[in-house]
Amino acid sequence: MRYDILIGGEAGQGPNIIANLISIGLIENGFFVFASREYESRVRGGHNFNIVTFSEEPLFSNSKSIDILVALDKNTEKIHKEDLKNNGIILEGSHNNMFYIGCLFKILGFDFNLLDSELRKINDYSENIEEAKRGYDSKNTEFNLKSAKSENKISLMNGNVAISEGAIKSGVEFYYSYPMTPATGVLTELAQRQKEEKHKTIELDGEIACINAAIGSAIVGAKSMVGSSGGGFDLMTEALSLTGMAEVPLVIYLSQRPGPSTGLATYTGQGDLNMALHAGHGEFVRIVIAPGDAKEAIERTTQIFYFTQKYTIPGILISDKHLSESHYSFTEKPQITISEKSVKWPARFNSYESDENKIATENINIIKKNVENRINKSKKLSEEIENFKPFEIYGNKDSRNLIIGWGSTKGVILDIIKKVDCKFLQISYLEPFSKKIQEEIKKAEKTLIVENNATSPLSSLIAEKTGFLIKNENKILKYDGRPFIFEQLLEEVEKRIKSTKEIEK
Amino acid sequence: MNNSIRTNAESTWCPGCNNFILLHAVQKVIEKQIESGKRKEDFGIVCGIGCHGKIFDYLNLPGINTLHGRTAPTCLGMKLAKPDLNVIGFSGDGDAYAEGIEHLIQMARYNSDFKYIIHNNQVFALTLGQPTPTTELGYIDKTNPDGVAISPLNPVKLMLVMGASFVARTCCETEQIKYVLEEALKHKGFAYIEVLQPCLIFHKNEDYKKRFYNLQKTEHNKTNFEEAMARADEFDYSSKDSKIPVGIFYQKERKTFEELKLNMQIAINSEK
Repeated sequence: MRYDILIGGEAGQGPNIIANLISIGLIENGFFVFASREYESRVRGGHNFNIVTFSEEPLFSNSKSIDILVALDKNTEKIHKEDLKNNGIILEGSHNNMFYIGCLFKILGFDFNLLDSELRKINDYSENIEEAKRGYDSKNTEFNLKSAKSENKISLMNGNVAISEGAIKSGVEFYYSYPMTPATGVLTELAQRQKEEKHKTIELDGEIACINAAIGSAIVGAKSMVGSSGGGFDLMTEALSLTGMAEVPLVIYLSQRPGPSTGLATYTGQGDLNMALHAGHGEFVRIVIAPGDAKEAIERTTQIFYFTQKYTIPGILISDKHLSESHYSFTEKPQITISEKSVKWPARFNSYESDENKIATENINIIKKNVENRINKSKKLSEEIENFKPFEIYGNKDSRNLIIGWGSTKGVILDIIKKVDCKFLQISYLEPFSKKIQEEIKKAEKTLIVENNATSPLSSLIAEKTGFLIKNENKILKYDGRPFIFEQLLEEVEKRIKSTKEIEK
Repeated sequence: MNNSIRTNAESTWCPGCNNFILLHAVQKVIEKQIESGKRKEDFGIVCGIGCHGKIFDYLNLPGINTLHGRTAPTCLGMKLAKPDLNVIGFSGDGDAYAEGIEHLIQMARYNSDFKYIIHNNQVFALTLGQPTPTTELGYIDKTNPDGVAISPLNPVKLMLVMGASFVARTCCETEQIKYVLEEALKHKGFAYIEVLQPCLIFHKNEDYKKRFYNLQKTEHNKTNFEEAMARADEFDYSSKDSKIPVGIFYQKERKTFEELKLNMQIAINSEK
């Protein structure tokens, strides 16, 4: 059973705080949670909302229909009431967010002591607790929830925190960043943790300064990372090319939002795959990895540090606003890959083609050898990624129907394949591209692709790497800045799977 | 890397180029430091792109010949990750004052503890003579057949205003560069050193020699900001007859970027 709570209000009214507290209440009571947020690019006012979806079993998407609507302002009620289920509960009035979090705890039948102890972690808590208690006492318990109390503690984490966690586990020493939504969460998380950990976060005068400083740190032997969204990534591409020439290990975190240009600053999209694969002038080897949820984000971050160090190449870790800022719940422990440092000071590096002493050269034989040395890194790299599950098949492995996706669409696809006869091929390593993917695609009779963009760059990549063409009618694309919602994707997939059997070529 | 800080790389600077003098002075200063116990790996050099950048090939020291205009942030990143390293950055006037000037401005404010030598030949020489931000008014080249009409930047004033803790200009003369670089290496914090060396090819008739005077041979008080600004105002990079002050305009130590960033306790209680 899935339940959805939608909390909406103006920026500044604190829907986020309610969502976070109820999510904690839910996981502490043994429920799995998926919580996303939609907000406008403004500091106060407007209409923001969070959806907290929960279940006794793991889930990774939000639904359209709402069980409980918390309306912090009239606008929220107006916009979302039509999605409220017939027996749904609406909480509205002139109370503040603390009152409503109290209401929610009571309605769901949770102990007030848990909320009390969570509220004590926030400054000036006494008034908050009083208000929450008033809310708690004003309601009756309406749900008779039974969780499959799991032995393992449920972790709750958003993608940005997970990527930060992965970076710390990889021994990151410097994270250079200029704020840009939706990547800023990594800067915030790493900044908060720099006193207890060994890294430093450094904010410089722009993305160009950041990546060049990161290269400076990397050449003296520090594990370095930078992060931004598409626009900031654009600014870093000349230096990305430098890392290819000078063979500097560097992790670049790219959290996508819809472009082109400033686009939709606080919304989600997957329009930057081609940029990650191709940005930077000249020919050089890179690794591009896109995790699909928070636990995977921790694991893939440690892998990208491993590969960038081992092969002295740049690595691009792709996320998007939906993964970066949504909260995921999981019980399994992430698998950490340990990475050894590869750069040892003293050493010389050059942006020019250079000889063995890194002195610039235009010598015809040296140039040819250098180019081959750099490009040939891809051979071993392509082999070694096969040990790291560069792709994964989920669901009924014998199904003849296949959905392909990458990045944050993983969550909603995992949820819908429980309802429809389909398996799911998630491609996490976009570059290098596993040779085994071709076999998986060949096995399927019907192949659908799901992407949060308008031109389906993954289809093009698959065509380039495997020769397999996905039909336009089998591309399920969403490019309105919003993530796929459970019912919506289920309907789109069912429409295509029920249609007459076709053989694709 | 062998023990010498010199290399056998063929020099591709023009015969008689002022860069030879600059290179010689830098070699002398670093060799002296190595004789008195420093190791080659205690130094890190960074160069950009342009005639100046070729110095990377003539110094057998670790570091990076990086992108055009990105010397300064690269130096900062090295210094943060290895605070004991003596980091020396080299840039041309194109590299420091055109592409990447935002970094120069911020570095003065940050006070990262590296030394930054600007080879100012007042022209984009390697691309065959286009004007930079410090090219004089009226300069004619193929891209400006009617002559440069925009007044040049005064980078010394810019550095002073942005709070650089060490601001110097030298003429292209060995002893003068050696003196200023040695003082800069003793200075804790960002040191800006401009070496004024009009290009022999594109500024054939430029003769600054008679116009230079050494601030350290006058009553100049290098801890006085107003005095430094007044001296910086004497030469506007365009006039044909004004005096050109050289030497250390201004010097006042304060906490460095690395001290502030790497030690959070200091950051919280920081005083300027």
